[in-house]
Amino acid sequence: MTAQRFKPGDRVRVRPEEKPGHVRTPGYVRGKEGRVESVLGEFRNPESLAYGDPGLPERPLYKVSFRQEDLWEGYPGPAYDTLYVDIYEHWLEPAREETP
Amino acid sequence: MTGVHDLGGSPGGPIDKSQHEVEDWERLADAVTIVLDKKGLKTTDEHRRAQESLPPEQYEALSYYERWVAATELLLVEKGILTREEIDARAEELAESWGEG
Repeated sequence: MTAQRFKPGDRVRVRPEEKPGHVRTPGYVRGKEGRVESVLGEFRNPESLAYGDPGLPERPLYKVSFRQEDLWEGYPGPAYDTLYVDIYEHWLEPAREETP
Repeated sequence: MTGVHDLGGSPGGPIDKSQHEVEDWERLADAVTIVLDKKGLKTTDEHRRAQESLPPEQYEALSYYERWVAATELLLVEKGILTREEIDARAEELAESWGEG
């Protein structure tokens, strides 16, 4: 077990960068801010498993919620509409500012 | 720029919701892929990476299981389990006995 950097309730930002090769973080959440809902466990890293490596050490995986209106410009649905994405810890950093 | 597979949020157009019968070769494609996993010869992650590495125009033109087959072939060759020539020769044999269909 590695120490987990985030806990449920933490505001996080998905790292905005491009990473070549196989990644499990969809493009549309990169650079977006969300909230850690839960820690899903620790798993071997698919980004290196994809190239035949053992994918170790295991990485914490979080369920992160995003407000739909933060993801899609002009989102027509209600403000409480939420999207959940499973994101590995190395894609997350603390959110830059607290949102009310 | 994300990969050709990373479609979330891109304009999708109408969705084709029609169903089709699963064909025998599709069942085989699925079975072979899973057996290679069970035997420890490849992982799902490698298979996904191989699919994503297909040229974008090929990725978009192929059906779901055609992509699986193409990715499985890439991995078998990459890992030295089969050569491209062996696969092509076998495919030709099968085409002769089964017809091009």
